Amino acid sequence: MAARSGLRASVRGLRASGSIYCRCARPFSTTLHSRYPAPSPADRTKTTHFGFEDGVSEKEKTERVAGVFHSVAESYDRMNDLMSFGWHRIWKDHFVTSLNPGASSSNPPKPQRILDIAGGTGDIAFRMLHNAHVLNSNPDRMLLHSPDAIADNSIDLYTVAFGIRNFSNIPAALREAYRVLKPGGVFACLEFSKVGNPLLNAAYKRWSFSGIPMIGQLVAGDRDSYQYLVESIERFPTQEAFRDMIVDAGFVVGGDGYENLTGGVAAIHKGMKPLKPTS
Amino acid sequence: MAPTTRAFATRLASAAAATTTKSTTRSTAACLRSRSNRRSYHSHDHPPPPGAFNTAERQILSAAYRHVPDHGFTHKTLSLGARDAGYLDISTNVVPEGPFSLIKYHLVSKREALAPRSAEIFNAPVGGADGATPDAAAGTRGQLLTVPERVERLTWERLLANRDIIHRWQEALAVMAQPSRVPASLHELALLSDEIYHLAGDLAVDPSWYTKRASLSTIYASSELFMTNDCSAGFGDTRAFLRRRLDETSSLAGVVGSIGQWVGFTASAGLNVLRSKGARI
Repeated sequence: MAARSGLRASVRGLRASGSIYCRCARPFSTTLHSRYPAPSPADRTKTTHFGFEDGVSEKEKTERVAGVFHSVAESYDRMNDLMSFGWHRIWKDHFVTSLNPGASSSNPPKPQRILDIAGGTGDIAFRMLHNAHVLNSNPDRMLLHSPDAIADNSIDLYTVAFGIRNFSNIPAALREAYRVLKPGGVFACLEFSKVGNPLLNAAYKRWSFSGIPMIGQLVAGDRDSYQYLVESIERFPTQEAFRDMIVDAGFVVGGDGYENLTGGVAAIHKGMKPLKPTS
Repeated sequence: MAPTTRAFATRLASAAAATTTKSTTRSTAACLRSRSNRRSYHSHDHPPPPGAFNTAERQILSAAYRHVPDHGFTHKTLSLGARDAGYLDISTNVVPEGPFSLIKYHLVSKREALAPRSAEIFNAPVGGADGATPDAAAGTRGQLLTVPERVERLTWERLLANRDIIHRWQEALAVMAQPSRVPASLHELALLSDEIYHLAGDLAVDPSWYTKRASLSTIYASSELFMTNDCSAGFGDTRAFLRRRLDETSSLAGVVGSIGQWVGFTASAGLNVLRSKGARI
């Protein structure tokens, strides 16, 4: 869930040279967002879904998702607070502390390269940098590139928070994550998921299908975008199904492969690229 | 590997099989059995559950475990383990519960080590088994001890497996006592007592199945806590503590059994008195 367009505009202004990397030790580096994943000619004809609407081409979904986030960019953070009663901050804090970026067994600490996809307003990226620089005193680099600009086996930690749901082709995105990660590198995803408890689920469904589009209309003046949001959450696979998709992309997962937050409203999935590819 | 997965259904099935087969040696009253017969306790219909940890987890955890005496059950230990195993610092994330997984690794690996250790102890030459009560019918050396004696010995062996990390064990107990960790910790404790009773050759399926395991769990947990403060040579005080607790339980069990018998007799006698007075019960 990313206000990509806002970030894009600001980045465009900041970037004087065309080079992606900068030799100076600046902790952030970004690229213009390129459509992800780059559709091959064969992909263009493939269809996916947009909310509850089926038979949408991947290209069209990409454009419509961009439209949604363009539309909600202004009130993005305020809406998140209203929709989740501020709880999304707890999830994000927990996501970052559980990953503990920058923690290193060597002295001086070994810097890590962290890639945050669909970073939006940078709420994950800033937490990562705080955790790495302040808590672990590690001069980690935070990358906000689109992964197609990144070399193979070059990233320690690849995160995507509330974003993967909007991707046109999730298996391709997972394969791309696998490609850019170093062996031993970690893919971590924070995403809305399925609630297990039926009572909590009933309350949650009522809130998301009635409350959220209404708040969207009142606060952001855009009911349709928030209708898409709740529909896309509903269409997203279960914890187990998504875990299996991660495993299918070649990752190894520990334990169940996911951690439920707030009874399953959101879930953290983690996968590690094995040292030797699994056959 | 032991325990609840060897479900009741299996026990009932094997008990039923025992009654239908002509093999009189498989009398359910026999509380001590040879090792080959004890396989009937395991499920033949269900494959053994997969190990608690996958390959990558085991590589990191086993490498990290060597650093526990120096660095405790901490994230730093995990990082050192990941480095030793050839992984990145960030790879510790594949271990789902961080330091708690390290504690679980200790619990699981020491529990699993109990079965080979038990074979080693109980198949040792007869002279080595002090205090053995010779069983005339028993042909193998493994049957020279009674079930409570074997339980005591196995519990002691399990406590001794904490020797190298005992100075870090209070930290681990603190982590295990966190509310979100309590169910997993208690589950592991239940698996341990079940394993000990299984290895001790206890095949009873009456309600004492629960009470025996519950009391052994309590005794094990308190002995472990005692051990964290034990400075005596070879943890002799802990063993004395363990023996006292087990003796108390067996005498208590006798008392409870007698009370139960008395209550049962009085109740049925009272019922009969009422019936003799014409009450329609």
